[in-house]
Amino acid sequence: MESINKSDNNFEQCLKCTICTVYCPVLAVNPDFPGPKHGGPDQERLRLKMPSFYDEANKYCMNCKRCEVACPSNVRVGDIIQKAKLKYSRHKPSLRDFFLSHTDLVGTLSSPFAPIVNKVLSWDVTKQVMDTTIHVDKHRIFPEYSHEKFVSWLEKQAGEQKKFAHQLCYFHGCYVNYNFPQLGKDFVKVMNAFGYGVQLLEKEKCCGVALISNGFAGQARRQGEVNLRSIRKAVSENMPVVATSSTCTMTIRDEYPHILNLKNADVRDHVELATRFIYRMINESKDFDLSKLKFIQRGHPLKIAYHTPCHLEKLGWEYYSIELLRMIPDVEITVLKPNCCGIGGTYGFKKENYENAQKIGEPLFREIEEGGFDLVVTDCETCKWQIEMSTSKKCKHPITVFAEALTE
Amino acid sequence: MIFDTIIIGGGLSGLTCGIHLQKAGKRCVIISSGQSALHFSSGSFDLLNTLPDGRSVSDPVQSLDELQVQNPSHPYIKIGKTDFIRLAEKSQQLLTDASISVGGSYQRNHYRLTPFAITKPTWLTMTDYVSSDQPDSLPWKNVCLVHFTGYLDFHPDFFQGKFQELGIKVQNVELDLTKVSIRKNTPLEVRSTNIARLFDNEEALDNFVRLLAHKVGDADAVLLPACLGLERTNIVNILSRKLGVEVKLLATFPPTVSGIRAQYLLKQRFMQLGGTYMLGDTVNKVDFENNHISKIFTVNHGNIPLRGEEYVLCSGSFFSEGLVALPNDVVDPICGLDVDYISDRKEWFASDVFDQQNYESFGIRTDETFHGIKNGQAISNLHVCGASLSAFNALKEGCGGGVSMLTALYVAEDILRQKENK
Amino acid sequence: MNEYDVIIIGGGATGAGTLRDCSMRGLRTVLIERSDIATGATGRNHGLLHSGARYAVTDQESARECISENQILRRIASHCVDETDGFFISLPDDDLSFQTKFVKSCQSAGIRADVIDPKEALVLEPSMNPAVTGAVRVPDGSIDPFRLTASNIRDAKTLGANVLTYHMVTELIRRQDAIVGVKILNVRTKETSELYAPIIVNACGIWGAHIAEMAGVKVSMFPAKGALLIYGHRVNKIVLNRCRKPSDADILVPGDTICLIGTTSTKVPFDTIDNMYVLPEEVEILRKGAQELSPILEKTRILRCYAGVRPLVASDNDPSGRSVSRGIVLFDHEKRDGLKGFITITGGKLMTYRLMAEQATDLVCTKLHIDKKCETATVKLPGSREDKETILKKLYSMPSAVQESMIYRHGEMAEKIATNNVVNNSLVCECEEVSYGEVSYAIDHMDVNNLIDLRRRTRLGMGTCQGEFCACRAIGILAKQKKIKPEKEKEELVTFLNERWKGIKPIAWGDSLRESQYASWVYESVCGLSKNNKDLTK
Repeated sequence: MESINKSDNNFEQCLKCTICTVYCPVLAVNPDFPGPKHGGPDQERLRLKMPSFYDEANKYCMNCKRCEVACPSNVRVGDIIQKAKLKYSRHKPSLRDFFLSHTDLVGTLSSPFAPIVNKVLSWDVTKQVMDTTIHVDKHRIFPEYSHEKFVSWLEKQAGEQKKFAHQLCYFHGCYVNYNFPQLGKDFVKVMNAFGYGVQLLEKEKCCGVALISNGFAGQARRQGEVNLRSIRKAVSENMPVVATSSTCTMTIRDEYPHILNLKNADVRDHVELATRFIYRMINESKDFDLSKLKFIQRGHPLKIAYHTPCHLEKLGWEYYSIELLRMIPDVEITVLKPNCCGIGGTYGFKKENYENAQKIGEPLFREIEEGGFDLVVTDCETCKWQIEMSTSKKCKHPITVFAEALTE
Repeated sequence: MIFDTIIIGGGLSGLTCGIHLQKAGKRCVIISSGQSALHFSSGSFDLLNTLPDGRSVSDPVQSLDELQVQNPSHPYIKIGKTDFIRLAEKSQQLLTDASISVGGSYQRNHYRLTPFAITKPTWLTMTDYVSSDQPDSLPWKNVCLVHFTGYLDFHPDFFQGKFQELGIKVQNVELDLTKVSIRKNTPLEVRSTNIARLFDNEEALDNFVRLLAHKVGDADAVLLPACLGLERTNIVNILSRKLGVEVKLLATFPPTVSGIRAQYLLKQRFMQLGGTYMLGDTVNKVDFENNHISKIFTVNHGNIPLRGEEYVLCSGSFFSEGLVALPNDVVDPICGLDVDYISDRKEWFASDVFDQQNYESFGIRTDETFHGIKNGQAISNLHVCGASLSAFNALKEGCGGGVSMLTALYVAEDILRQKENK
Repeated sequence: MNEYDVIIIGGGATGAGTLRDCSMRGLRTVLIERSDIATGATGRNHGLLHSGARYAVTDQESARECISENQILRRIASHCVDETDGFFISLPDDDLSFQTKFVKSCQSAGIRADVIDPKEALVLEPSMNPAVTGAVRVPDGSIDPFRLTASNIRDAKTLGANVLTYHMVTELIRRQDAIVGVKILNVRTKETSELYAPIIVNACGIWGAHIAEMAGVKVSMFPAKGALLIYGHRVNKIVLNRCRKPSDADILVPGDTICLIGTTSTKVPFDTIDNMYVLPEEVEILRKGAQELSPILEKTRILRCYAGVRPLVASDNDPSGRSVSRGIVLFDHEKRDGLKGFITITGGKLMTYRLMAEQATDLVCTKLHIDKKCETATVKLPGSREDKETILKKLYSMPSAVQESMIYRHGEMAEKIATNNVVNNSLVCECEEVSYGEVSYAIDHMDVNNLIDLRRRTRLGMGTCQGEFCACRAIGILAKQKKIKPEKEKEELVTFLNERWKGIKPIAWGDSLRESQYASWVYESVCGLSKNNKDLTK
């Protein structure tokens, strides 16, 4: 029961307590942003009066959902702003917005030429050109492309994977597929250790989160429909769908129905983050034997700083990732303060946002540098890029850390 | 997920209960559907300011006997005088232990200045804030009253009027934040939290000091709106040192920096002690078995239940949706416990908004040891504390903070006691 | 100066319209209003720009009057009018044969009435009850009565008229068989004075009966109370009416950021007209009617409720007052009662105010031997004189939503609002997007004396929080601009909060109760405000 006697007009639940404005990372650094309360529930009433009330400054919203987490009235403030952007904004997406958000397209084109693409993207002159022409900030470091896509690698293992007693489908996401198959390989290793064989979905497209925030709702919806079809097929074959990216997970479970009006109630509970899936398996099922897992004995403690990605905080599932890390021997975990890293997906790549993105992340970077940690761990790939670019530490996914701690 | 105690509600009451239990070695989880009402706190906590019949209270302990006569069902009466004293002391200790530095005592109310410069009695006040032992007697002859251009949530004229009434000479200083700021432009909505963030920056603070220093003159004290000290909790001391004069804060319209800080520090303390805090989640199913709770489900955790030996419900009042008012009913939306309320809606309110409103006393019915009651039966492993309780009026009696903390500690102790007896 | 050509008593739409018309014809006029403008029936109705369809079946004359004024107001008061159109819908319980009669009556009164397929109607207005069996489209609209009244006043003042709000008429000065002037009391300062004019116009709506009594003549009116509910946001785009004999709670009107449902009709004693409360039974009737028109309203937040009193001139024995002609009543007391220098203009409705003013002013001019024709039907009101594009070009660059708001509310008058710095562009009321500059302007130029007046001119405090935050901010501005004494600020806030509570109390459950609790905690507990506003130590 979400709440008794609630209207479909969720924005009416807002009491104007302004607590959300306290926790909005953008408002803290950018005075041009109307803020979650104002851009959300306040202006929604005005927009219903006349669409011309839409304030283009709502583009500064990062869609981090921290306003929703803070709201005592359960108002889906972030959703209200995203939907308003899609419905009312008169801003036409630029070429840059197109390239930043159409990750499948760019990934497919870049992957075969990965070594060249990576080299060219790393040159200062390239960055300067992109900065001047399409306004991708020159400080940004692009993640490298992988020559072999993850799906190609997994297809080669298909035979071996089918042998496991239990099967699941892996929603790998763009990052694992085009840039960092290693995380996918770690995931397979971990799931195999738990007795699960890993398969691909029949057809997987980018979850669409960047398409939504850059104004390509139609394309996002089309991709979402493909994904849901595949997910439904997997579920009908009794295979859970597991993802490693916290943002992909949140997008498929929540953004699809709330922002894109794609109904998914029949399969939503079958789409999970890997760490939650593992937690449930270990704690809720009766036939899993933990002693089957063998860990490498490190001998000295590994000091880990765990960063909760904003979207994971919204899901409320950082608990599972932290519990997974706690299973590993010789690990000292510090949970970092709940601060946004600032990148906001494609947000921080844009020249007009770069400075603010870095300001937003500054308290987090400081805590990381001052903590004497060996490693930062987080479930979101864009947080990883931001932390590696802005601090001196390496950043890994909990599944990777877990995989590395397991014996072969 | 298995915990020793599951606490539903992460405000002042939930955190107080959780901190105490964690200290005693219990593994607790707090589930909070959003940030709490503590964000509107004035910088002070109230224990008991007024009796139900309207008489002022200067010594809460002395007034308990009269309170018992006027309202024998009051949570303080359930707690009893001896425990009241002990737990009031403990509450103060808990705040200090969480790095929330407060002054005052349960033995005697002191006085604070509200954002409207009205003098009100109170129990504990954060040490940076203006307060006095006697009403209307402040220790200064000459103050420098600072305010910020465009900051509409602070009324210097109210304070000016008050100080003049008290015979204190006032120098008004208006500061333009654009001169302090290292940013290009000041916020469209100048709020206490934005200003506080500004001052967390060293350069901005130095600019501020430079602007202010030559305006202080021979003032005994510099008084500012409480827009300082979000991250840097010792900022008032630093400012005081740099200016060479006493600096004190004046409460502002909410959301308040003091409230945000208090919430943050209490949560921090709870987590330092090993507690798990789940923010932004709401309990949506409670499974009962033979008059006790076996497990609960939440929106975020879906089909993974939370199981605890003990449960504490401190979900707040109507504001936090701990109580929900339908057109003709008042319900507890989480556990469906029995609620004390009047069934005729006309009786919920008084015509004058400043008169006593009956709805403020509605709440969840509990037994002698604060166990929740469902369909007339006490639930053995469920306690209720804080604003969700019935039979008191936090507004009129000025006892919100006290009820939240004292009942929370009482419940925590009862849980530990119950465990020992098993 | 205390000698005028005309003294008008009553600051509702009728009085304001008459003030304007008289001023346009060169008369030296003063308006006396005991409270603020538009505080009588003018400020407490549906805000419906009738097409007249509602009266077509039973009262063709009224219907014709309505459609004619409807078209005039769209021209001259465009910044007060929202051209929403309207539907008259039939639901399963309604007799569809009424629709046929209805359409015929509309057409014969000159009102466009198009029968629309219910499915198409649902597409045009998705909030409509999906069980709709019939729909007729008519040129209804919505109109903001506060803006309308203020605009008439403004125009009159530009032409030299004088306006005295917060002044009460205590006596009509009589010399033999004529009224020659009025004794007035300044409600705020308690000063008294006398004003003289050859003609006094009684335009006080239901209070006109009392004024007439003061003059020594009898005008039989009976007060008919009507209650309405305001919902939290604009649920429907098009006015929804029930296609049946007029009854309770059968009009849902979208207006600005809200929509409202009305109304009821109960005869009430005269001594209650200054203190109207909405009763729980009335709330239930209104909710039920609203939900029949639009089912989503069952779960939509209600912001507040209010009640107004209709000035119905008794002419037959109908107890509910519904079948009484809504016609305009103009009494020339010289002819009727042998009393010179006194006329009463009453009856009618908000949207025929201009016609009422025309009739009254025509009579005034006849008596004063002034030969000037009425031009109020063609000369646009201030605020409606420039189109939006032109205005936008003249405004300084500023946040778009604030800009939109100012133009929406004030038309070309927005050009006079200061927008030149960050402070002026900062928001005082965030729910309704009212800037500091707009508040400042209203205080200085729109006869604002307190928070409630300010609310009527700018919509400050009309959003979902009903003035929680903005009241506090605005009070500081009122003091700064010397409209209230600093020592009276808290008292003013207490008055404002109680006025607000009056409208919230009957519907205080769900989110509205939460909001009220929050407001109480902030104002009473945190800020220490109280009834007598003394320190709680005493």
